[in-house]
Amino acid sequence: MDTLADLLTPDLIRSGIRLATPIILSALGGALCHRAGVLNLALEGKMLMGAFIGILAAFYLGNTYAGVLVAALAGGLLGAIFAYLYLRFEVNLIILAIAINLFIAEMTVFFMRTFLGDVGTWSDPSIEQLPDIPLPLLDQIPVLGRILSGHNAIVYFSWLASIGLFVILFYTKFGRHVRAVGENQEAAETVGINVTQVQVFALVISGMLCAIGGAFLSVGHLTLFTRNLTNGRGWIGLTAALFAQDHPLAVFLTGSFFGLADAFAIRLQTTTNVPPNLVQFIPHVLTLVALILVALRVKLREWLARRAFRLRERRRPAAVQPTGLSPR
Amino acid sequence: MPVLAIVAGMSVASVFILMAGANPLSAYADMFRTGFGCSSLDRCSLITTLQLGTPLVLTGISAVVAFRSGLFSIGQEGQLMLGGMMAAWLGYAVDLPPVIHPFVAILAAMLVGGIYGWFPGVLKVKLGVNEIISTIVLNTIAHLFVTYLINFPLRADQSTTAYSPVIDDTAKLMPFTSGAKFGPGFILALLVVAIVSIRLWRTTGGYEERMAGQAPGFALYGGVPRDFAAIRGMFISGAIAGLAGAIQALGVHYRMLDGFSVGLGFDGLTAAILAQVHPIGTALVAIFFAGLRQGAQIGLQFSSDVPRELGGGIIALMILFVSADRLFRANIGRFEAAWQRVQAARPKREVV
Repeated sequence: MDTLADLLTPDLIRSGIRLATPIILSALGGALCHRAGVLNLALEGKMLMGAFIGILAAFYLGNTYAGVLVAALAGGLLGAIFAYLYLRFEVNLIILAIAINLFIAEMTVFFMRTFLGDVGTWSDPSIEQLPDIPLPLLDQIPVLGRILSGHNAIVYFSWLASIGLFVILFYTKFGRHVRAVGENQEAAETVGINVTQVQVFALVISGMLCAIGGAFLSVGHLTLFTRNLTNGRGWIGLTAALFAQDHPLAVFLTGSFFGLADAFAIRLQTTTNVPPNLVQFIPHVLTLVALILVALRVKLREWLARRAFRLRERRRPAAVQPTGLSPR
Repeated sequence: MPVLAIVAGMSVASVFILMAGANPLSAYADMFRTGFGCSSLDRCSLITTLQLGTPLVLTGISAVVAFRSGLFSIGQEGQLMLGGMMAAWLGYAVDLPPVIHPFVAILAAMLVGGIYGWFPGVLKVKLGVNEIISTIVLNTIAHLFVTYLINFPLRADQSTTAYSPVIDDTAKLMPFTSGAKFGPGFILALLVVAIVSIRLWRTTGGYEERMAGQAPGFALYGGVPRDFAAIRGMFISGAIAGLAGAIQALGVHYRMLDGFSVGLGFDGLTAAILAQVHPIGTALVAIFFAGLRQGAQIGLQFSSDVPRELGGGIIALMILFVSADRLFRANIGRFEAAWQRVQAARPKREVV
């Protein structure tokens, strides 16, 4: 009989890290956009496009790294188009995102069928998967090396991107501007921050991150493209970003949590009769709880501030302090 | 405006048809013939389209009610899944006489869907949780939950695809025709469209909901129970999406299965957006969407050898164009300005 400790093997954590990578990357993209005051629901579409363009470019250029690079550029371009439509024509962001998601989900299959032969899944033996790179010192350490070393470049990139985005958001001028725009657009405008520029940059970088996350799926994890390859990972990324309150380091943790839950679910499916969906369930329910708790905290603060204000007001005419009164 | 978007979307899509090596005009002719044509009662694609359009009409109306109440709920997908699950479960788990059985199942599905819509409504109104975000999470939760149910406790047998047991004959909504599963569900959908139209514009409750959405400050000032009306709107919206799920489960699939909802919620939502959140327009657009997809599948793919995914692509382009109406307006303005410049540059005499 398997116990929990038996299931948590280094291999499980390894596959958890792999499954977490696309989620972390798209969640970082989402978090950056939310920080800049843009609710980006097009993560899924951007990832899927990155996956499609990544594998195509890897095939035609004969180099997987070049494929990932092209995917990133295409993601950035899509982010720029998104920003252009949103900022220039004030297109409703949610409608725009729904349209982009639908368009990419359908048209990737359309192009695959039109130009790559009438197939449901496309792959080519000449496409090389991204090679695994052992980390020089780390892979000497027994268990930790097994877990952390020997992933491909995009996995390491997702770690660096989390830290990098943290540094950018909290320790640079651009990051301060992003947060200012997200918290209060008008105030940011008043002090002379170029809101448009900040949001364009956020959307472009977000598009690139999502596309790299998508390319991880098509050329880093598997070497194929199929209908709806991302299978909701963009939405999970969005959820992970919400769970993490848009903090890059927390995004890394929540993204890993979602990935581990996935890996655990797959493992349970193969070894036991425990329903795997229940494990995948946990992070989503926790996200909902986190959303409610955050909202409650805001409400509580509001309520306390109001109460303090009322008490002060009441104290002013009459010098007696009305203790124990209900705040209403 | 929506007509312009439809034309623009199809014009852009014709580029893709050219890419696929077909003639756009004949391809579109094929698509509309197979999407909306009707040669005989047995081979009538319009009836299939109406059957496919039924859940879209309902999810679209569900979105209309939520949007009108001021909540941008995109939770129709989850509400539909849970409603369908409830109806499918009641369909085989209880024994009831013929007419009462589907009636009970549908009511239960609507209740479940309604509660699943009520929840994000309460979160939004009482706590200020963004309803878009909460409904996204709730959609995923509903999807995982239903997948769990049909894979484990309610699984019919150990086949490769998971589904729940087939419902009793007493619970089935029997189709009118032999070809398509076009049955009482469509009538129910039309009824809902009528009721929602009347309710939103001719009753106090509907007025309260619209005011809660359109002018929350005015609603509060005028003594409208604004918060309650918004939450009630979300409950109704969820119930309608649950009804869509029940109709799919009782009238089309006769069970709950993996891939029960292939984007039905989002297609309905986009129909509502394209129809500018009007119930009757939404119903028409939803049926139009169903016909597009149907026509793309049969007309484009089989006759013209264009992949059927173009149907979805055209829908996406249409939404893009309708949401970008400012793009049109800006360019119309530019065009007018250019025209006036041309007029001004001409000698005065020639202008009549």
